[in-house]
Amino acid sequence: MKTQRPVSSDKRPVNLDLSSIHFPLPALISISHRVSGVLLFIGLIFMMWALQASLASPAGFQIVSDTLAHNFFARLVMWGLLSALGFHFVAGIRHLVMDIGYGETLEGGQQGARLTVIFSIVLMILAGVWVW
Amino acid sequence: MSKLQVSVYRYNPESDDAPWMQDFEIDTQGRDLMVLNVLQMIKEQDSSLVYRASCREGVCGSDGMNMNGRNGLSCVTPLSQVVKNDRLVLRPLPGLPVIRDLIIDMSLFYKQYERIHPYLQNDERPPSTERLQSPEDRDKLDGLYECILCACCSTSCPSFWWNPDKFVGPAGLLQAYRFLADSRDTHTRERLAELDDPFSVFRCRGIMNCVNVCPKGLNPTRAIGKIREMLVSHTA
Repeated sequence: MKTQRPVSSDKRPVNLDLSSIHFPLPALISISHRVSGVLLFIGLIFMMWALQASLASPAGFQIVSDTLAHNFFARLVMWGLLSALGFHFVAGIRHLVMDIGYGETLEGGQQGARLTVIFSIVLMILAGVWVW
Repeated sequence: MSKLQVSVYRYNPESDDAPWMQDFEIDTQGRDLMVLNVLQMIKEQDSSLVYRASCREGVCGSDGMNMNGRNGLSCVTPLSQVVKNDRLVLRPLPGLPVIRDLIIDMSLFYKQYERIHPYLQNDERPPSTERLQSPEDRDKLDGLYECILCACCSTSCPSFWWNPDKFVGPAGLLQAYRFLADSRDTHTRERLAELDDPFSVFRCRGIMNCVNVCPKGLNPTRAIGKIREMLVSHTA
């Protein structure tokens, strides 16, 4: 005998106030991995557009290269996207390493998350040096 | 300084339209009490507060709740482990419907547990005594069989929050692997076939909140990894 109430018509509250929940570092890495992925997806539109413009004509190439050389905002976006790529890349490698079976313990997971932060900060700095 | 400010999630379906937080002041007299002890002291101030608890020693798994943002069993969680600045916020386990105050409806959690057939399945003729298992094979069950189904892990898992009807969740998957790893179980193929879809196992994104909160120190993330490996090697 099943007396389960349907979930959809449920009026009972659910405690899911994310601000009240503590998220450990591995969880923050995980959500940042997604956020950076979405950013890259959106940013790619502008990168493709810039690539297309720079390939269309010598004048177009000049405009794109001038903008990147002189416009602070354009360089900031460039650095932001490179940073997102760096982080996404490192966090992705961490997933691969975990799939092989490393860093799946409580300490290992935290260690892996810390390494992800360190490596991606290094990549962000390198990206900054390269852009500026 | 031993006055503890405790804020407790309250919801009574008969009188409240929405949940609210009630504040209490508890004098711990400087003792490092368990959170459950504090709840008992609150109940003396306001007997309308309800929560689940039974064995009060981390065996029955009844009193899982969210303490200052972390899931755990209130009976084995000392104040020193969760309290900061003499403030303690007690909320029900996240993601499942609240019946009243700190009590949640665990139907979905149990439904996922039921789905993985949490019992030994063996088609061979039962021997006259018990089914034997080598000590090495028995060792494979360590870290799997100890789960007390308190739901701390599954209700800390974002993948389970968003898909509690489709993703088995860390607790269910730990038990799924407990029977996949059992040398006496002969239904490995069937068990894997039932998990082989985009949601049941693969909604796990390795967030590892489950490993972080398990009061028994178990590791659902590793078990899920092993199930994934089995799924790959059995379908290849």
